[in-house]
Amino acid sequence: MNRILASAFALALSAGTFQVHAVQAQTLTAVLNADMRSSNPGVNRDDNTDTVVLHIVEGLVGYDEGGSVGPLLAEKVDLSQDGKTYTFTLRKGVKFHNGAELTSADVLWSWTRYMDPKTDWRCLGDLDGRNGLKVVSATAPDANTFVMELNAPNALFLDTLARTDCGGTAIIHKDSVKADGSWDKPIGTGPFKLGEWKRGQSIQLLAYEGYVSPKGATRDGMLGSKRPLVKEARFMVIPDAATVKAGLMAGSLDIASVPEIDAAELKAHPKLNVVTGTNPVRHGMIIQTRDPVLKNVKLRQAIAASIDFPELVANVTNNLGQPNNSPIYMTSKYFGEAEKQGFKYDPALAKKLLQEAGYKGEKITILANKRSTAPSFNTAVIAQQMMQAVGINADIEVLEWATQLDRYNKGNYQMEAFSYSGRFDPALGFEQISGPKDKQPRKVWEDPEALALIDKSMVVADVTERQKIFDDLHKRFIEQVPTIFTHNDVDIVAHSKRVSGVKPWMSKLRLWEVGVAN
Amino acid sequence: MLRFALTRILMALPTLLIVAVSVFVLIRLIPGDPAQLMLGDLADPASLADLRGRLGLDKSLPVQFGIWFGNLLHGDLGQSISSQQAVLPLILQRFWISAQIVLVAVLLAVLVAVPAGVIAAWRQNSSLDLGLVGLATLLLSIPTFWLGLLLLLFFGLKLEWLPVVGYVSISEDATRGILYLVMPIMTLFLHEIGVLLRMARASTLEVLRLDYITHARAKGLSEGAVLWRHAFKNAFGPTWTLIGLVLGNLLGGIAVVETVFTIPGLGRLLVDSIFARDYPVIQGCLLFVAFTYVVVNLVIDLCYPIFDPRVTAQ
Amino acid sequence: MKRLAPNALLGGFLIGTLIVVALIGAVWTPYDPLQLSFRAKLAAPSAAHWLGTDEFGRDVGSRLMAGAATSAWISLLTVTLAVVFGTAIGVVSGYVRGWFDRIVMAFNDALLAFPGILLALGLLAVLGANKYGIIAALGIAYTPSVARIVRGAVLSLREREFIAASRVMGNSELFTMARHILPNCIAPLTVLATSMFGYVLLAESALSFLGLGVPPPAPTWGNMLAGSRPYIGQAVWLGIFPGLCISLTLLGINLLGDAVRDRLDPRMRGM
Repeated sequence: MNRILASAFALALSAGTFQVHAVQAQTLTAVLNADMRSSNPGVNRDDNTDTVVLHIVEGLVGYDEGGSVGPLLAEKVDLSQDGKTYTFTLRKGVKFHNGAELTSADVLWSWTRYMDPKTDWRCLGDLDGRNGLKVVSATAPDANTFVMELNAPNALFLDTLARTDCGGTAIIHKDSVKADGSWDKPIGTGPFKLGEWKRGQSIQLLAYEGYVSPKGATRDGMLGSKRPLVKEARFMVIPDAATVKAGLMAGSLDIASVPEIDAAELKAHPKLNVVTGTNPVRHGMIIQTRDPVLKNVKLRQAIAASIDFPELVANVTNNLGQPNNSPIYMTSKYFGEAEKQGFKYDPALAKKLLQEAGYKGEKITILANKRSTAPSFNTAVIAQQMMQAVGINADIEVLEWATQLDRYNKGNYQMEAFSYSGRFDPALGFEQISGPKDKQPRKVWEDPEALALIDKSMVVADVTERQKIFDDLHKRFIEQVPTIFTHNDVDIVAHSKRVSGVKPWMSKLRLWEVGVAN
Repeated sequence: MLRFALTRILMALPTLLIVAVSVFVLIRLIPGDPAQLMLGDLADPASLADLRGRLGLDKSLPVQFGIWFGNLLHGDLGQSISSQQAVLPLILQRFWISAQIVLVAVLLAVLVAVPAGVIAAWRQNSSLDLGLVGLATLLLSIPTFWLGLLLLLFFGLKLEWLPVVGYVSISEDATRGILYLVMPIMTLFLHEIGVLLRMARASTLEVLRLDYITHARAKGLSEGAVLWRHAFKNAFGPTWTLIGLVLGNLLGGIAVVETVFTIPGLGRLLVDSIFARDYPVIQGCLLFVAFTYVVVNLVIDLCYPIFDPRVTAQ
Repeated sequence: MKRLAPNALLGGFLIGTLIVVALIGAVWTPYDPLQLSFRAKLAAPSAAHWLGTDEFGRDVGSRLMAGAATSAWISLLTVTLAVVFGTAIGVVSGYVRGWFDRIVMAFNDALLAFPGILLALGLLAVLGANKYGIIAALGIAYTPSVARIVRGAVLSLREREFIAASRVMGNSELFTMARHILPNCIAPLTVLATSMFGYVLLAESALSFLGLGVPPPAPTWGNMLAGSRPYIGQAVWLGIFPGLCISLTLLGINLLGDAVRDRLDPRMRGM
């Protein structure tokens, strides 16, 4: 009886607020294909974790729609003449979810926590000098200013801070951790507060009424206008794509990423809409350049020439994607004319190259997996067929993902149908695939000249000069074929027509600036 | 009886020990480790070594086993690598969800399939028999992931009788909780009918051929009385053993149904942790499943004499 | 010679057809089962493709024919493996009882408690993801169930009069096991073996569903069925036909199993 009274009371209360914020009355239900690992930004995380956590917390800087870095909690960022000192001026009036005002002391506290090895922050190694870049000092000269000094100029420092897998180097309130220093719950400055988290089932987000949005009339990546337009948003954990589809059609789900094959059917549904966008994830096939057979560059070129990319990509993406052989993703500002020059489909040339390579029908095995989130298996099946058509003895071995990843890390493969996670800056995108195999067997490209160029691109800040380096790298890459990229990933988001403002961005669902009509 | 039960439980200890050791070794033989999966394509050797160290994976296998086993003796199954929850409460919570589905589905299936199997055997080679066997075979040959999806599309999407996604525990909201369980239970129920009907039919056929049935018939007992008093009761023995097997297997194999209907049960926990190489959870789950299995089969064996008085419980 | 029941005839017909199709499929199919054809993706059944095409434009009928041989081979070997080892363990353990029984059953139960998927994962990693890896993994996974069922039947059998009679007559234990216990296990075994045949066809498909395929592109009924699931709304024939093949095969084996059991049953002999 009490419960009924209480809920009637709550209903009356919410009816009161309903009058004021009519748009905020509804709940928004989105889908994750797996639960988040923890609510601890940049520590125990995966892509789903980043997606959820970045609704709750924010860092000093973040990515804009095009993948460039801009100020988020900072009003502005100033760089000293020598390129080593960054001065962050904080936005005024920003409050944490517990009501405390954001000051540089919080920034310093968060930073100190990240730099403590006990925190297990994922990006520690990228900032403590182990991988070159080192933050030598961090200070808070006044309540509104935070200063960081580097060991040497670095074009990618702000990128690293903004990286989503680093949790955006989120600034959190110190009550987020328990007295013993262990993680409790995120108290951030983001548009949503963490509500009830039912492990393995759902994560509830509650609109933060006191949210102060960055400047900007519209949403812009992780920046721009970020108002919460619904009172409550919920991420449901649903691993099976067929169930997601049924849920969308039944109206129990509002927003979900869906596989290519379902796009057309969902789009035709009267209650649903489908929106797409390209993201920096690169799909393709990596090649072991130290393999006795595949170390022959002519053979690798033959494989590249045997593949009809428009046909392959059209089939793998159900006509939603476009081929891109470049390590630089298509929506990057560095993707220019040079990058459009990819591999050429030419079966006759492929046969000729095979002959020149002295290929005698040695078996070439492509490893693939059947994860629903990557086109690995379909790519392998189609590529195998095309390779066989020019006389390459291609074979497929299907592995479970963890096993395939282990083979990748050990360099123990001939070819793998593989996908590289998104990196906004091309220098990081090249670094991901390149390096000396003696030290890091997982790397695919170890041409010393290319490695030197990549190192240079990380230091140079000038855009034109960087473009030249990337064009050069792209050309070498296409010549040496250490990997065959086929296309960039396409985000396909289906949403109910009662929801407005949905736009896919870099594989991350964003629920701010998303409204629900009655 | 009591001594039998005690011996059986003591006997189960070696079984559990064998499970503990072999699980521990087997999952570490499988390529891939949790550190690699957490780092994905960013795993530079330094951070990989770092993370392995923190997870205690850099120690030698016997040392790792010693630590785990020592904690186990204190009733501590450790902590999940991916969610950092304590393993035992996690398993117990998930187990209740799976158990209610499995128990209800198997109970219903027994109630339907065993009488149907007896009738099919009684009318062997009739069109009724062929129809029942055909139906059972059809049900058996539809994979649960297909059957589940068909039910979902029909009852959830087309008729809109049942909720398509989500889960609410019965303790939270009884009516809605039950609604969410209807389709998973129905899926398993339909599948298990196929298994049990055929077993019940086969056992009954056996019994019907024995001399005492002929005697009973010769004595002038009605067919119904023969079936019930002699055939059914005797035929139930082997079927009963099978029910034990089915229960045990289902707890390990309910993962598919839980995936289709987004039920956070034990099966999905196990499969997810296998794919994530979450060693402590895999070890905990398997030990727990083995333990449940031993208990279920103990109960089954203790009940065996009830159905087949010739077997004495020793 | 007893007249064959119509059920047995139907069973024989179904299995006969399967064998013929598998034999033909091994040497000839209307289309190359591996040939992709992007222009004919997800085509509904038609005169050119009687059973339609799949998501790569491959002919479903040809794949079913080619898959028949692979599927039958995998199932047959797996079931044989499990039945032979399981029966041996079950009969000896159930007949001898005592400590021997307890130790064997401790191992058996340990193995039984292992989910098939973990066993498959482990063995496939060690043996390589090929059909012999699958056969070994599933064979080992099913052996303990057979052992348990057979042991249950033996426990019940050994209390019967004719077993005691055999012992009283001075027959050796081994002779009693082989002559009296074993033939009486045939009935539960045929049922179990025929069910298992179906389980194996499906186990492979469940493994595929959970993300662990048997090396496609070579078709098996199991992986065709698993692969059809995302297309349930657009191309229902992708699942219906392999599903139907599995169903009919099972039905055939089942009916034939009944007939074989009648023939082998010692009490029916000479009737």
